[in-house]
Amino acid sequence: MNALNLPILSLITYLPLVGIVAICLINNSRQDLIRWVAFGTSVVTFLVSLPLYFMFDCGTWEMQFVEDVPWISQFAVRYHMGIDGISLLLVLLTTFLSALAILSTWTAVTERVKGYMASLLFLETGMIGVFCALDFVLFYVFWEVMLIPMYFIIGIWGGPRRIYAAVKFFIYTMSGSVLMLVAILVLYFMNFEATGTYTFDILDYYNLGLPGNIQMWLFLAFFVAFAIKVPMFPFHTWLPDAHVEAPTAGSVILAGVLLKMGIYGFLRFCLPIFPQATIDFMPIVLALSVVGIIYGAMVSIAQDDIKKLVAYSSVSHLGYCMLGMFALNVDGLKGSLIQMINHGLSTGALFMIVGMLYERRHTRLISEYGGIMKVMPMFAALFLLVALSSMGVPGLNGFVGELLILIGAFKASLAFGMVATIGLILGAIYLLWMYRRVMYGQITKAENQNLKDMTGREYAYLLPIVLFIVWIGVYPKPFLKTMDASVDHLLETVNPRTSARMDGAKPTWLNDVVARVDFQQLAKGQGR
Amino acid sequence: MIDWFHPSVFYIVGALLLPFLRGKIQKAYMLLIPLLGVAAVFAMSAGTYWSWDFLGTVLCFGAVDKLSIVFGWVFTIMSFIGMVYALHVNDRGQHVAALLYVGGSLGVTFAGDYLTLFVFWEVMAFASAYLVFARREPAAIRAGYRYILVHTFGGVCLLGGIILHYLSTRSMQVGPLDHDGSLAFYLILVGVIVNAAVPPLHAWLIDAYPEGTVTGSVFMSAFTTKTAVYVLVRVFPGTELLVYMGTIMALYGVVYAVLENDCRRLLAYHIISQVGYMVAGVGIGTEMSLNGSVSHAFAHILYKGLLFMGAGAVIEMTGRRKLTELGGLYRTMPITLVLYMIGGFAISAFPLFSGFVTKSMVIAGAAHDHRPLVALLLTMASAGTFLHTGLKLPYYMFFAKDSGIEAKEPPLNMLLAMGMAAFMCIGIGVLPGPLYNLLPFPVHFNAYTGDHVTSALGILLFTGLGFFMLLKKLDPEPTISIDTDWVYRKGSRVFMWIASKPIASSDTYVGNVYDTWFTRFMLFFSSFLARIIDVRAIDGLVNGVAQFFIGLAGVVRVTASGLVRSYAATMLIGGVVILGYYLFASLMSL
Repeated sequence: MNALNLPILSLITYLPLVGIVAICLINNSRQDLIRWVAFGTSVVTFLVSLPLYFMFDCGTWEMQFVEDVPWISQFAVRYHMGIDGISLLLVLLTTFLSALAILSTWTAVTERVKGYMASLLFLETGMIGVFCALDFVLFYVFWEVMLIPMYFIIGIWGGPRRIYAAVKFFIYTMSGSVLMLVAILVLYFMNFEATGTYTFDILDYYNLGLPGNIQMWLFLAFFVAFAIKVPMFPFHTWLPDAHVEAPTAGSVILAGVLLKMGIYGFLRFCLPIFPQATIDFMPIVLALSVVGIIYGAMVSIAQDDIKKLVAYSSVSHLGYCMLGMFALNVDGLKGSLIQMINHGLSTGALFMIVGMLYERRHTRLISEYGGIMKVMPMFAALFLLVALSSMGVPGLNGFVGELLILIGAFKASLAFGMVATIGLILGAIYLLWMYRRVMYGQITKAENQNLKDMTGREYAYLLPIVLFIVWIGVYPKPFLKTMDASVDHLLETVNPRTSARMDGAKPTWLNDVVARVDFQQLAKGQGR
Repeated sequence: MIDWFHPSVFYIVGALLLPFLRGKIQKAYMLLIPLLGVAAVFAMSAGTYWSWDFLGTVLCFGAVDKLSIVFGWVFTIMSFIGMVYALHVNDRGQHVAALLYVGGSLGVTFAGDYLTLFVFWEVMAFASAYLVFARREPAAIRAGYRYILVHTFGGVCLLGGIILHYLSTRSMQVGPLDHDGSLAFYLILVGVIVNAAVPPLHAWLIDAYPEGTVTGSVFMSAFTTKTAVYVLVRVFPGTELLVYMGTIMALYGVVYAVLENDCRRLLAYHIISQVGYMVAGVGIGTEMSLNGSVSHAFAHILYKGLLFMGAGAVIEMTGRRKLTELGGLYRTMPITLVLYMIGGFAISAFPLFSGFVTKSMVIAGAAHDHRPLVALLLTMASAGTFLHTGLKLPYYMFFAKDSGIEAKEPPLNMLLAMGMAAFMCIGIGVLPGPLYNLLPFPVHFNAYTGDHVTSALGILLFTGLGFFMLLKKLDPEPTISIDTDWVYRKGSRVFMWIASKPIASSDTYVGNVYDTWFTRFMLFFSSFLARIIDVRAIDGLVNGVAQFFIGLAGVVRVTASGLVRSYAATMLIGGVVILGYYLFASLMSL
């Protein structure tokens, strides 16, 4: 249902394209104007997306602001857009971070600014489209659309090894999504066999009820695509390279939004369409998530490049999100959703902060810094705040998500919960140690003596994130209440399928692993 | 119209705004705030105001009755006098601290619940600690540190008692406590008597008041102990233990004062003595004795403030504080001498001065309650008070041998402040009526009976005679008296030794173990994961796949030879094969 009678989702999705057109008309030499137009477009997009929150009906799990018109009728492809509790906050996060990311990269890129800003805006279109799309083909188009501008952003405006990083990113992600395309087509045809109609509409597949072994293969196909995006261990190696080589805005958007699409994909597709396979694979996915948490954290400890450290910390944090999601109870799911938003804010802010250091010294190596707090005290304060938020310190946003996730994880499995809690300690280790080496102590390098503290522009793009970091940490209710209905409905669709096993054929090697997970606890997992 | 306004708001908000003002405006502002406070107290009437429901308990900021109003009066008046006295000081921090201090004190006075009381109690402690630190000499800083430690101890005891009290009675309201001897009772009592400087917990006062700034000590002498007395009157009336404590206090202070050489330290011991009267009055618990305590507190704030102001003026003008180094100032500082003596007479309870109409009420209360020994001892202490504060101190400060100091009169504001306090001391003594009207209980006491006047004069004059006869014996000597703070000053050294030798070394040992087994291992393992597993193994696999395809492509690339003949041959053969397959298939299906 659409409360507003105008296609607001399409408006939000395509507004950045208007910005691109405007940019293309500007002369190449007028770089500042290009930047302002791009920033203005992203701010307008954010403002237009705000009514989505205020007019959102938190009581229903149905899709809202729906637009549904036929598109390619020969193949039953429809232009179907809509959001629910799961995607609302992600859309807002996207528009919010895009605006700030464009602001953060004001002086970092000075050549071919037009192409750069156009890529960022194009990327924004793709991202919003992914979160809003409710038709498989539409979703896939937007999914792939995201890859191209990101490839350019890394490959043209990136660091020394940018070509390697860009190509790796592109091929890695694409190979996953190709598998997903195959699975989409299989679903399409199976749906025809089951119901006699052709449809690509995602909501129709929720009621499909596929047999268990088919579910397993399709789930695996989707799983690969999304696991690469999340990124889960062991499909994560594209991330450090992409982050290190990308310019600041690229990293912010990559970490802030693109990584959320993997988790969003799980929530939108894998859990509702393949509930049986979800239950079957739950232990493996939980195990992989926990490995990702510990592994990501440990590798972070060993890093000297700050950006790589934060990149691996993303692996660790999103491992938490996957853990919460696959715990399959209310607390875990809500924790996973809010932690996605939190991670977008905290890690986006961390990348912005690293960008600030890089713009001053053109190095990201921890060994090149030391005692920065003496010359940049305000920066030190904000850096500490963001680092604490990333660690999950109570009072800031990270704590809300991590607490809910851990509650959900402990309800699902005591062992996994305990190992995940150890990950919290490791998170504190690498962040605090890095902070100490960079900010505290004596100023060891002469070049660090004259660093300037934060400029007005830097405050302008960091403080809004800090505002939300504190707000979500202190009073998360406005954000959590949007998810209630959708999460409850999602869990209802997943859990009843456990008893109604359509096809008894389950790979036997799963039996032993599955037996250790208590299904009683799954059904009881109603936290809020 | 607002029916009630908490005077602390003026002080606390005023303190926050003061740093932004300069010059004459700042001075006017400093005087304005206490006047606003006085006006607020003037406009008050009894009742309960400013109640707020917070997290399940009711916080009450304005529990106003006669008891709190009378203390409100004296606190605000004294704050005005103190501000006049401190006008010449340039240290803004001191003014801010003083205002916060008074604000805290008034907050405690009007607090209706223990939580509010505790918060303002702590504000008082920290604000007054600054006044000690503000002198910025090593001795002052150390004294201030000890001051804040003792007050924190008292505050924690108070808080513990409050919580226990709440747990047992579910009520946070300030009111008389049952004398049930419970831990809550004693903890709150300990917390309050720390602030009231009851021995053996009194040493902080002796330690810190002489070390504070000249103007800061004037404030300190007025507020902390009297606020504690207020709480005692409110919460512990009739506690038998307090009678004995008070009486012992009164004598203790007087005895130690004999031995003192530092003029303000002597006065500080007298504070203990005078507060002893108030504590004893609270302990006796009859209406007359409680009236006595309250009125004595009222008068004491004024005359003790005056004494501290006088001594402070001498210190300010001469730079010296030891009696052995002073003397002969009567020629150069006559006004100070006169004003100081007014304070001295007031504290000694000379007729026509404020002490006479207030201290005697406590002693009369003791007598009426059939406690002859208490009355006798308190009277003895009174004699001792005159001996030291009224005779010894001014004699050695202003008369005796000439120390040769060229001093002048203190600045006008200090003289004005002293004059105001002196005026009030005499005023209360001559016309006690207005004060008696403010007292919480109806007053049935007439100080000016023939018997009382003659006995008081007799004691005092004989004390004077004794002083002059034993003059030589009372000469000040530059000694340090050991007081109960020896226990914790030496004890803390033992504690520090324990902390640094055994505990720290075992901590270092644990730290080393942790360092080797956890930190080094963690760094090694994470480095292994990062450089070997991640870069070589996983990425190696990924890159290996890529390399494989590149190699494969390299091999297959050979076929794109660019020679048209091979392309043509491929197409021809391919076409033949495909056609042949379909021909064959259709033939087979026939």
